[in-house]
Amino acid sequence: MIISPLDRKLLRDLARLKGQMLAVSVVMACGLAMMICTRSLIHTLESTRDAYYEKHRMADVFGSLKRAPLAVAERLADIPGVATVEPRVVVDVTLDLPGLAEPATGHLVSLPEDGPQRLNQIFLRKGRMPRLDERREVVASEAFAEANHFEPGDQVVAVINGRRDTLVISGIGLSPEFVFEARSGETLPDNKRYGVFWMNYRAVAMAYNMDGAFNDFCADLAPGAHPGPVLIEMDRLLQNYGALGAITRTDQASARRLDDELNVLHALAVAYPVVFLSVAAFMVNAVLSRLVRLQREQIAQLKALGYASWQVGFHYLKFALVIVVLGTALGSVAGAMMSQMLVKLYTIFFRFPSLRVLLDYQSLVWALLVSAGASTLGVLSVVRAAVKLPPAEAMRPEPPADFKPSFLERKGLTKAFSPSFRMALRNIERRPLQALFTIFGLSLATALMILPGAMADSIDYLLTYQWNDVQRQDVVAFLTEPGSPSAFHDLEHLPGVTSAEPIRRVQARFSFGNHSRRLGVTGMPPTANLNRLLDAKGQAIPMPENGILMSAKLAEILGAKLDDEVLVSVLEGRRPERLLPIRGLLEDFSGVAAYMDISALRRLMQEGDTINGAYLTVDQTKWESFMQKVKSTPRSSVIFVKKEQLAAFRKTTGQSIGILRSLYLTLAVIVAFGVVYNSARIALSERTRDLATLRVVGFSQREVGAVLLGELSLLVVSALPVGFLLGQLLTTGIFHSLSTETIRLPLRITLTTYLTAMGVVLGATAASFWAVSRLLKKLDLVGVLKARD
Amino acid sequence: MLEPAPSPPPVSPVFHARGLRKVYHTGEVDVVALRDVDLDFNSSELVVLLGASGSGKSTLLNILGGLDVPTAGSLSYRGWDLTDADESTLTLFRRNCVGFVFQFYNLIPSLTARENVALITDIARDPMTPEEALEMVGLTARRDHFPSQLSGGEQQRVAIARAIAKRPEVLLCDEPTGALDITTGITVLEAVERINRELGTLTVIITHNAAMAEMADRVLHLSDGQIVKSRTNATRQPASSLEW
Repeated sequence: MIISPLDRKLLRDLARLKGQMLAVSVVMACGLAMMICTRSLIHTLESTRDAYYEKHRMADVFGSLKRAPLAVAERLADIPGVATVEPRVVVDVTLDLPGLAEPATGHLVSLPEDGPQRLNQIFLRKGRMPRLDERREVVASEAFAEANHFEPGDQVVAVINGRRDTLVISGIGLSPEFVFEARSGETLPDNKRYGVFWMNYRAVAMAYNMDGAFNDFCADLAPGAHPGPVLIEMDRLLQNYGALGAITRTDQASARRLDDELNVLHALAVAYPVVFLSVAAFMVNAVLSRLVRLQREQIAQLKALGYASWQVGFHYLKFALVIVVLGTALGSVAGAMMSQMLVKLYTIFFRFPSLRVLLDYQSLVWALLVSAGASTLGVLSVVRAAVKLPPAEAMRPEPPADFKPSFLERKGLTKAFSPSFRMALRNIERRPLQALFTIFGLSLATALMILPGAMADSIDYLLTYQWNDVQRQDVVAFLTEPGSPSAFHDLEHLPGVTSAEPIRRVQARFSFGNHSRRLGVTGMPPTANLNRLLDAKGQAIPMPENGILMSAKLAEILGAKLDDEVLVSVLEGRRPERLLPIRGLLEDFSGVAAYMDISALRRLMQEGDTINGAYLTVDQTKWESFMQKVKSTPRSSVIFVKKEQLAAFRKTTGQSIGILRSLYLTLAVIVAFGVVYNSARIALSERTRDLATLRVVGFSQREVGAVLLGELSLLVVSALPVGFLLGQLLTTGIFHSLSTETIRLPLRITLTTYLTAMGVVLGATAASFWAVSRLLKKLDLVGVLKARD
Repeated sequence: MLEPAPSPPPVSPVFHARGLRKVYHTGEVDVVALRDVDLDFNSSELVVLLGASGSGKSTLLNILGGLDVPTAGSLSYRGWDLTDADESTLTLFRRNCVGFVFQFYNLIPSLTARENVALITDIARDPMTPEEALEMVGLTARRDHFPSQLSGGEQQRVAIARAIAKRPEVLLCDEPTGALDITTGITVLEAVERINRELGTLTVIITHNAAMAEMADRVLHLSDGQIVKSRTNATRQPASSLEW
């Protein structure tokens, strides 16, 4: 292969500039790796989800009700637009698991007996489906079975409608309905204490007096059918059967959780890489402008020899393209590796028959285009200026750079400054844009360091806030059915209970304007002190006599603000509807909730002192006997134990954020080093002659190093505060995009985070200085000084 | 910080070199730049080294000035052995004993004339003030100008002021007028001459320009790395009378 002389020059220049080229490529690779990784994760999750939903026939519509005869299901199926309806019985039962003090929850879902499941079909991982005539056989969800080390053939003790019974696991499987498997309203999985069981219809129905009836259904819509009218018709049909309102797949808990996660990824796929690529573009610009300045005479020679401007221009553009190709190659490999690593995190939250990384090849093309575009933009002006110069002019040595006293000096503020400090100030002032770019690059590196720190700070704050300030109870106990005052009395008198506050919770639809949301509204006494309702400032909001308190996020979803009246349509009992004003907005961080005075709620429901459960504090010395008693209490079915939730949180979110954090940290360190090293190298090459002069007149290596690095240190010091500010903005932006209905992170950045960011940037600066001062030692004093400028 | 250099004992000659040899290894070829040069330079002397390109005169100057070390032979400055001196010794030597002037002025563009001189007066052992140094080269009026505001001759005179501000015992000039026209070149040479005369500085000038030989006490011709001819002028011509 014949390489043209210009390309030979390119290769040799590249070899000479390899350190800087590599630094820029690596920074670019970081951005591209993030982009490829997140795009691939999105592609993986979306494709896997879509394939899973399709193959296992994820239903389009879900609904639950109190109780309706099976014949009603047939009428549901007759609604125009409905293709299939599968009625079922769904109940939560208490499980008594060996080695677990507190009760666990089993979510029993009935299996049709007239044939295989038509919707939400189980993917059987191990074992087999329950035999038709077997009352006790169940398929257990894989996440639960794994967490508790269950295998087919193992047994689980459950309290089914008040009676202890033993279930036999015949198989282990998963379903598209429970990709995200958690108690209703919970935002994090606790697979040890919550599992789904599929059981023969008759076995569940008989136990709950539901034979010939159903309390839950899922349905498939005919192709092209609009869900809106279908849902309205379904709700109308089931109105008298205690319907809680049919929902589409979009609102189904597991599907929504997965969508939320994808939204987060979509946000990260843009914001983060953009920052990296901007830094890389600035670096490309800095490296190439210097190169072009140094090769001014060579450019003139080439043009004098007859090379066209575009040929010369393209030659310098190739430098940028080499960086892009190298960056893209490195970024693709790193991105693919990162996706392999991060996809494992998703298996903590989401269960698919298999989750294998599908690389988003389209994003590779995008990566190449985006980074090529960014770099070309970065060098275009430089190259244009270089080729515009007439050869004769370019061949004359550049006149000495034009300097003037710096601003501070003109103001007479720098009388005591040393000559080297003056040099630094004047250099910065002479090329303010270059200095600004360097400051910008350095501050972005600092900003990138703030994000991972802020993540940890926010999680810490969240844990303190959620688990100390808000939740003062140890346990939340829910009854299987709403109970009378005596039920509260029973809970209050469980062994070890030191205080108890009643809860009344009803399902309701909240509507405001065109927006509506279905959720439970919780009634609490105005004096309640265990589950505290706090505003954005952490102040307790008193429970209003009239009106409701709701999560700020819920108000945002509804498009409502404080004192707006929202329509609350209760979906239980007599299904009352009432316009209620929003009297306070709660700062909460997972899910959305609404609260009202328990008496007001009971008046609305036209009922007596009904409760659904209670917040309890328990004397820790009597914990064992408390749990023992709760497990054997037939009427309590769901128990949330605060410390277990905390542990689950640490294990899931804590772990995944921990991994993300180390990843971001690594990338930020690379960028910090890359930017500082690059700037130091540029400073070195631009100032070689000055530095050599200083060495010749008798400055020691260290003194010359100080002159070189003084200017850069000034820039680093100015970049830090800007970086802190940018970091805050970046973190706010990313947290905002991470804020979903499922989970939100409070923005908290501690001093330690700022100090760490500063430490890393200063560390990277020191390392770069060290690397550059090694080059300083090799400076050819004579050669430099005898060469013409 | 560097410690002040030990004061060299006041013995003549200033430089005493025997068998100086310098070989550059470039790839697989060895280039001999100096071949067994013997010389003695004395205080207050003005020496002109003449020779064609590649004759070894710059190599000799660099070794004398502590910018390079010989491959073989010995070199002492006032009895202070520089043959195997390490980097920090050479730094001290340059800082306190030698002033350099190059063809390209090598001023720091971001510093004014006075500040360029102050660079050295800040670190030297017994410097004159920048103002005195600039006065000696006739640039008092231009001392607060930046290099970009000075002509070539003025820039070179600033370089000379910077070189002599430390009161060096040796001033080494490498083609000091190479980039200047004759009138400006003569002004620069006058400055060099004045310094040699008034401060008693051993001054070594290397040049292609044979006309400059007339202003020297001694003229050495270098060819192929050796001193091939040495001549002593009975009388030195003033720089102002030179023509080329």
